[in-house]
Amino acid sequence: MRKRPELLAPAGNLEKLKMAIRYGADAVYIGGQQFGLRSRAGNFSYEEMQEGIAFAHAHAAKVYVAANMVTHEGDIEGAGTFFTTLRDIGIDAVIVSDPAMIEVCLSEAPGLPVHLSTQASATNYETLRFWKEEGLERIVLAREVSMEEIREMKRHVDVEIETFVHGAMCISYSGRCTLSNHMALRDANRGGCAQSCRWKYGFFEADELLTPAMEARDEEPFSMSSVDLSMVRHIPDLVEAGVDSLKVEGRMKSIHYVATVCNVYRQVIDAYCDNPDTFVFDPAWEEEIWKAAQRELATGFYYGIPTEKEQLFGQRRAIPQYAFAARVIAYDEASKTATLEQRNHFRCGEEVEFFGPGFTRFTQRIEDMWDVEGNRIETAHQAMMTVRIVVDHPVDVDFIMRKRKVMAKEAVPLKT
Amino acid sequence: MMIQTIATAQSIAQAEALILAGADRLVVGEATYGLRQRGGWSLDEVREVTALAHHYGKEVTVAVNNLMHNDQIASLPDYLSALKTMGVDSVTAGDPGAISLIRKANIPYWYDAQTLVTSARQIQFWAKREAIGAVVARELTLIELKQIQRQLGLPIEVHVYGPTCIHHSKRPLVTNYFNELGRNESGEMREYYISEPNDETSRYPIYEDANGTHVFSEDLTLMAQLPELFRNELHTWKLDGWHAGERFVEIVALFSQARSHLLNAKFDRIEMERRLAELQPEPFRLGTGLLLRNPEEIK
Repeated sequence: MRKRPELLAPAGNLEKLKMAIRYGADAVYIGGQQFGLRSRAGNFSYEEMQEGIAFAHAHAAKVYVAANMVTHEGDIEGAGTFFTTLRDIGIDAVIVSDPAMIEVCLSEAPGLPVHLSTQASATNYETLRFWKEEGLERIVLAREVSMEEIREMKRHVDVEIETFVHGAMCISYSGRCTLSNHMALRDANRGGCAQSCRWKYGFFEADELLTPAMEARDEEPFSMSSVDLSMVRHIPDLVEAGVDSLKVEGRMKSIHYVATVCNVYRQVIDAYCDNPDTFVFDPAWEEEIWKAAQRELATGFYYGIPTEKEQLFGQRRAIPQYAFAARVIAYDEASKTATLEQRNHFRCGEEVEFFGPGFTRFTQRIEDMWDVEGNRIETAHQAMMTVRIVVDHPVDVDFIMRKRKVMAKEAVPLKT
Repeated sequence: MMIQTIATAQSIAQAEALILAGADRLVVGEATYGLRQRGGWSLDEVREVTALAHHYGKEVTVAVNNLMHNDQIASLPDYLSALKTMGVDSVTAGDPGAISLIRKANIPYWYDAQTLVTSARQIQFWAKREAIGAVVARELTLIELKQIQRQLGLPIEVHVYGPTCIHHSKRPLVTNYFNELGRNESGEMREYYISEPNDETSRYPIYEDANGTHVFSEDLTLMAQLPELFRNELHTWKLDGWHAGERFVEIVALFSQARSHLLNAKFDRIEMERRLAELQPEPFRLGTGLLLRNPEEIK
């Protein structure tokens, strides 16, 4: 047996929060309506937070709030009230990077645990010691830290360490990129990042400076676009290094992503921690992870400095994409009938997949379908409509039905 | 309060020329502990430039502003103790672990966490922990710089000339790009530039070294706004000679002259802008970045 690290999942809204926990997350992180870095992610009102906290705590899970904005003059107004409110409604911790925000939180909302955001790029044990002595409970490491460096940190300082294990990554040190500020007037450190790193740039050597442009230069444009992180195959290393919390990126990602990724990591963590000596990696876990992948996957800086293979250039391999087709809202065992809430178009004759918490999954061909009045229908075309189908294997409430999307090349963000 | 002009220095010879051109404080360093220090100053060279600067009654600041990993932080105390012994006047630092060690070594430090230094309250946090000043984010507007300086009892450094770093990756992005192209060569320590997709005449320096890859802004200047800085207690002026080459000494001299004209109330903005434009190396554009924007424009 090993001590189980926490599985920490993103929750862009209340539904994602519940699904993340249903699918195995020990904790979720969310954004409030102020002080976050994801202005476009669904952010929680205090009322929604309370509902989320009630659900999480009933399932022995925790809720953290990301308040990792790097504040400018005036931005910090109201932060004290914000933090005390979070503390008083039962938020388990806040994730902060700006020392001004940390100071406000520690002085005005004592009792609310503070985690240092990855945005502050903690990369050494003295930095961990500094923040521990200031009163922080946990440090989210910079993504540039290697596995060996984590082990070394644990030898020097006794403070909780959280690391990213899955999802999209900044190619820069987080917080140390303002391409978006300078090129798109959008502040990367206040939630406005335009993902300028993923644009295509002209490239010039010193003696080509006066060369007019890229046109007619028949070569690959320069880009700084990282593939995504996945440590699914390396959970044993993270557990042995003593990492306390394994974080999944993606507050803007879909329910399908959150459920799939949590489901897999839950399996891997439990399988290893329960029986570390006999643990064998099940390829089905990785196969499942790919169904929620949008880009190629790699291990970031854990085992070395990423090469060009861990960047996206030119022609990219198309990764089969899966869509969230429906959520199971009821199941009748006698008639083997699942009641579904539609999320994406599907029709009779299609092959779909069902999966549920605990890594239950099976393929299903949709033979017959009925609407709520019991009329036979061919397609479920209306958002959120309720339909019934017969399934070959038992399902349960909150099982997800996914379907494969038509192959599409990965979208490259365009300059806005 | 006196206006202090700070210049980056790349060699002993350039350092002396910069002092003679009017620089009050020189910034030097190397890649293990400092960021983007072209000179790659060894400890012996730092000792020599410190003695030289002190001979002229000027100061030396050593950049210790890298994001330190474990191995760097492990060897940092020895480096600091050497700097202390040779009488370096101050260091810049933004890594909280490095700051702890700098305070133990009893060396004055300027808080410099690059893009993250954006408010008076944040600087006060470090002032309470013995910072003597702050290098603020170059993404701040002049309106914000004034608001920040007004609230502080210590100086903030205003970037009045040169490019500034707008992207730091630990990855070797130029070498990776060359590998992708099948060009079997390292991109390290050489001059390259990138242009923005919708602005083909833009040229952003990109530089790879032991700390990864750095993308710089275009050249920023506040020459025209020096009187406004002067009136608003923004008296610490930084000039970065990243690619100004031989011209950099002349540019520092021009800013020194501008300073004395300001003090004697005979600053001629148009004339000074014209002379700076003449010294500006081709084909780099001279602009004001986000400095003259309204803070509300930046979302």
